[in-house]
Amino acid sequence: MIDSTPRPMILEDAYADGEDARHFQLRLVDPQATDLAAQPGQFFMLAVPGHGEAPFTYVRAPDAEGRFSALVRRTGQLTEALFELQIGSVLGYRGPLGRGWPHDLTGRHVLVIAGGCGLAPLAGLIDAARDNAARLQVIYGARHPGAQVLARERARWRLDLDYLETCDVASPGERSGSPVAHLDELLGQNIPDAVLCCGPEPLMLASAEHCLKRGVPAVHIWLSLERRMHCGAGLCGHCHIGASYACVDGPTYNYEQYLALTRAAGLYSTAQAIRHC
Amino acid sequence: MLAAHKLDSPERLRAHLAQGREVQEMRADGQGGWHWQNLAAGDGLPFEPPPRPPLTSAKPLFFAEREALFRFDGGTFYGCLPEIEPKVLFGVSACDLRALAYQDQFFAQDEHYQRRRRQTLLVGYDCGHSCAGGFCTAVGGSPLVNQTQADLILRRNGHGGWTLLVASQAGAEAIAALALPQAPEDWTAERDADLAQVRAEQGAQAEITAGIAAIQAASVEPERWEALGLRCLGCSGCTSVCPTCSCYAPLEQREEGGALLHERVWDSCLYTGFQKEASSHNPAATAGQRVQRFWYHKFGTAFAERFGAYGCVGCGRCDVVCPGSIGAHGVMTRISRP
Repeated sequence: MIDSTPRPMILEDAYADGEDARHFQLRLVDPQATDLAAQPGQFFMLAVPGHGEAPFTYVRAPDAEGRFSALVRRTGQLTEALFELQIGSVLGYRGPLGRGWPHDLTGRHVLVIAGGCGLAPLAGLIDAARDNAARLQVIYGARHPGAQVLARERARWRLDLDYLETCDVASPGERSGSPVAHLDELLGQNIPDAVLCCGPEPLMLASAEHCLKRGVPAVHIWLSLERRMHCGAGLCGHCHIGASYACVDGPTYNYEQYLALTRAAGLYSTAQAIRHC
Repeated sequence: MLAAHKLDSPERLRAHLAQGREVQEMRADGQGGWHWQNLAAGDGLPFEPPPRPPLTSAKPLFFAEREALFRFDGGTFYGCLPEIEPKVLFGVSACDLRALAYQDQFFAQDEHYQRRRRQTLLVGYDCGHSCAGGFCTAVGGSPLVNQTQADLILRRNGHGGWTLLVASQAGAEAIAALALPQAPEDWTAERDADLAQVRAEQGAQAEITAGIAAIQAASVEPERWEALGLRCLGCSGCTSVCPTCSCYAPLEQREEGGALLHERVWDSCLYTGFQKEASSHNPAATAGQRVQRFWYHKFGTAFAERFGAYGCVGCGRCDVVCPGSIGAHGVMTRISRP
């Protein structure tokens, strides 16, 4: 049976990590084996007592002491309350939930495309793939330099990864524009075996289409889709994508699954809808 | 083959089942409404099932409109589960039982729902005629109670009396002490005749069949959904009365004494903010997108395959309550037009 009761965790530390974003260090009071098996791309429900629960991804998955980290951007009343909490506060935790990134990246050429806070669910994957992928390339886009997140992780990746950054509004002399605009330069004549993408949905869809045209099969292009979630168990209904629920069937989907779900459901975009309003 | 008994009166059966169980039955409120009522001990009023599905289905008796999930006392989270006494739902129509079977699958891992379900004996009721607006036969259902979806099945027989069909072990055990006589063997023919009668009364329901086909082919254009969306007030009438709708939202509040109570309350996919995220991104920002979602959830192939049935049982409640006339018939007529 589903257990909808959170387990306690302690807010151990937090530091500013991008515009309106903080990187929280958390500790589960009583870590379970399932917590230690959390995979990059999975998520947990964070309860801020009095303000409800919301889904966040792991930047660093729980260790044996139950310590893990999560990046949170201040965007609503729950995160507003979270940012005001004292170190040592008790929070609630349910997880790990959902499906993470694909596991079979060993020996593959992996391309990671991230936008904004979409870098967070990819951080653990990047650290794992740097050890076992045949080739790892990362491109990260943000609106402007101040909006970039995970500064400490990026500083590390800059040293020893094939890593590019771009901003919509860049500093003079720096790379600018969408990550998609730089994919040809990044890839040259190569076709990656797997593309993992997380960021604003238009960026993910544009990235997927670009990679598809370059010859990457849709089943090897992975997206992490953000949806409103409450239960994390496929019951409350909020995170529907066609006939699937992102909290249990996602949040990672390969592009073929995404296209099949949206086509079967006859889904159309808000932009299409507004043309008919 | 079901065991069939001759029953002198449903009231006698009801009084017998009331021993050790709470009994709930639909009763008229004298103002045109019908509601599930807990019957007092010794209640002897005649069993009179409502002439058409009342707006309240059996759904809220299992999937509560509002209930606590957990409490937080400042240091620890405590799960809240309902304590349920044995009960019997007396006289549930085939469509509502079919919806309950759908919910049984959907909430299979939900302990709140299942605690209520495990403690409830279901006494179904065969409809001999179609209710006004009903279309159960057009969506794979039947006016006759499916024997896998109830414990006992009540039906009026052609001799002016009653027949009781035993559909489960729990049902057989519940009536063993009554030592009811066997029913005349013509009950199967009578059921066949009832089904034929209701099919004839409901007719072809061509717009329902064509609408389902259009949804499954994903051939309804966005402009048609958006036109339907203009008629949606986002009032949640359809989702509240629909016996298979199951969406919910969290609600958190502080109790006396300072503890926090986290509840779930019914929600509606037709509400503007149903999918709106904290960032303001809303994948279902327009009413047309939300109306489309509602009907895809009811008739989409993937859902039908997963549940072995449509998420619409043909009760017609949405047609009754929708102020914009976009209940099942209103929508299916509009999307099936060339």
